[in-house]
Amino acid sequence: MSNDVAFFAEFSDGAPARSALELAAGAAELAEQSGGEAIALAYGPGAGDAGSLGAAGASRGIVLGDGPGPAIGHAMAAAAAVRELTPLAILSPATPNGRDLAAALIGLLGVPAFGPVRAARIEDGHLRTEQATLQGSVVTVSEPADGAPQPAIVLVLPSTFTPREGGTGTAAVTPAPASEAGSLGLAHVVESHPAEAAVANLEEAKVIVAGGRGVGSAEGFAQLEELAAALGGAVGASRAAADAGWVPYQLQIGQTGKVVKPALYVACGISGAIQHRVGMQTAENVLAINKDPDAPIGEFADLFVVGDLFAIVPKLTAEIRRRKGR
Amino acid sequence: MVCIKQVPATTAEKRYTADLRLDRAAAEAVINPLDEYAIEQALRLQEAGDVESVGYLSMGPEQAAEALRRALAMGGDDATLVTDPALPGADAWATARVLAAALDKMAPDVALMGMASDDARGSLVPGAVAALRGVPLLSYGSELRVEGSVARIRRLTADGFDILEAPLPVVASVTDQVGEPRYASLKGIMAAKRKPMETWSLADVGLSADELHGAALTRVVEARKPEAKPPTERVEDVNADEAVTRIVDWLTARKLV
Ligand SMILES: Cc1cc2nc3c(=O)[nH]c(=O)nc-3n(C[C@H](O)[C@H](O)[C@H](O)COP(=O)(O)OP(=O)(O)OC[C@H]3O[C@@H](n4cnc5c(N)ncnc54)[C@H](O)[C@@H]3O)c2cc1C
Ligand SMILES: Nc1ncnc2c1ncn2[C@@H]1O[C@H](COP(=O)(O)O)[C@@H](O)[C@H]1O
Repeated sequence: MSNDVAFFAEFSDGAPARSALELAAGAAELAEQSGGEAIALAYGPGAGDAGSLGAAGASRGIVLGDGPGPAIGHAMAAAAAVRELTPLAILSPATPNGRDLAAALIGLLGVPAFGPVRAARIEDGHLRTEQATLQGSVVTVSEPADGAPQPAIVLVLPSTFTPREGGTGTAAVTPAPASEAGSLGLAHVVESHPAEAAVANLEEAKVIVAGGRGVGSAEGFAQLEELAAALGGAVGASRAAADAGWVPYQLQIGQTGKVVKPALYVACGISGAIQHRVGMQTAENVLAINKDPDAPIGEFADLFVVGDLFAIVPKLTAEIRRRKGR
Repeated sequence: MVCIKQVPATTAEKRYTADLRLDRAAAEAVINPLDEYAIEQALRLQEAGDVESVGYLSMGPEQAAEALRRALAMGGDDATLVTDPALPGADAWATARVLAAALDKMAPDVALMGMASDDARGSLVPGAVAALRGVPLLSYGSELRVEGSVARIRRLTADGFDILEAPLPVVASVTDQVGEPRYASLKGIMAAKRKPMETWSLADVGLSADELHGAALTRVVEARKPEAKPPTERVEDVNADEAVTRIVDWLTARKLV
């Protein structure tokens, strides 16, 4: 058993995902607390370049595989690597891929799982995680039970850790010990349908202008696009807006969409249902524009403007542009 | 076989017991909302003739039988509840062990789950069950199809969607995009009363309390209310120009523009 802290580093199109950079910083932070090393468990197209994560905080990298298939196909390689390393903890992104890999390890290794968490630390050699349960009404602090085997697997929400900037160094990279993909490797992609237009990655946006049923149409969303552009942000949506077909599902925020943590979240024509709230409640600043003074979002927004979004949004866009001198 | 969990209703007030577990007796209990979508998907497959029968499996306290009865009222054939004094407080790992053991006995072509439970929110049980049973996982499907000896799902990607396929048997999980769950009809509710429901203990699925390590490898050491946010600032009864001024002032004060 070691004091090391490993993390799943997803690669796609030859580069580490944002989550890999965040978790590299997180693993380095925890490894410092435990007196161990931060070790990247890299998978996906480009994973061979895991050495580059040295600048992000990793001391070592292990390549689980660089195939493009579903992440769970790397589970047996991950289990083999983890059996050798027995790290104290593994940080896994709380994304579909990260959760599937983490879940498979729980089944294969019989180890404890935590999360999705929004804080984790090591105190006197013990892992402690903080998680908002029950749709945000209670925060719980958890730890491995006495005698639970290592590692503890921790699902980490986006933006829990901040990527390091200006780091240098290369992590030493080794392949994972030999293993068979087994039955978990049998699920495979038979068709791929990329969208025609690029879709924003909301998890990286500093500003999100989100629209709901109140936006009324795809044309209505064009007004939100303008406001988002003026603020240097991206457009998001409630499920009602995605269900209506006004925006692609990739822009849905909430329990079954993305979990986001921007510096500014502007909710336009969104009522603030609990399933939406769980996806955005950790945003640093929430501005809501809604014509219903009793909309639930008025109970947790920082600034709640009661009014018609079609009257306010274009004027707001113009005023912000004017101030920015454009 | 659809795996459903009984959870406290989203709107119900939640309380914790002295040992920091959710006080399930104090909250109104419902079928985990995302599992209703799994039920809907299974019933559509049965109606299309792609699967022969639909059964339900739940692990939980005795009152979880109500959730199974409600599922049977939506449709399907039979239900099984695994309940045991050793199970309250079960974490993702223990839950997966128990469900995998029960599924080993049932050997369904498809073990279908929701994408997440409302209370645990880990989305971990499907993948852990697949790993324990040694069968492929098709997760986060916005549609599931069963054709001959394979199952296929449609799954959202960063900018579009993929179709994934695996040979049966599989564990699959579906999202809330499969179609809105149906309501139980009065006829369905009456019919559900006569559908078979079995209750199994831990021993019935071949597990012992010792093996399950007190049902959890994790432990809650503290539960508290989240830090209170400062109260909402309200802007009301003003025209659009005034509203814009107030918004811009607020953004400026917070250095957001
Ligand atoms: C299992 C499950 C999972 C779910 N997951 C998600 C999820 O991930 N994300 C999500 O968002 N939802 C999710 N939902 C749905 C959620 O419960 C709500 O139905 C949804 O969020 C409502 O979207 P909305 O606020 O856009 O629409 P509504 O609730 O209809 O609200 C529209 C709002 O717009 C306001 N409005 C209308 N016109 C104007 C105008 N001109 N100017 C200003 N305001 C106006 C109205 O006052 C109203 O408050 C889920 C539901 C379930 C059951
Ligand atoms: N106690 C349980 N009984 C039956 N199915 C469960 C149970 N817990 C979780 N599941 C299934 O696993 C899915 C994911 O749950 P979770 O991993 O808790 O987010 C749920 O949507 C259910 O389909």
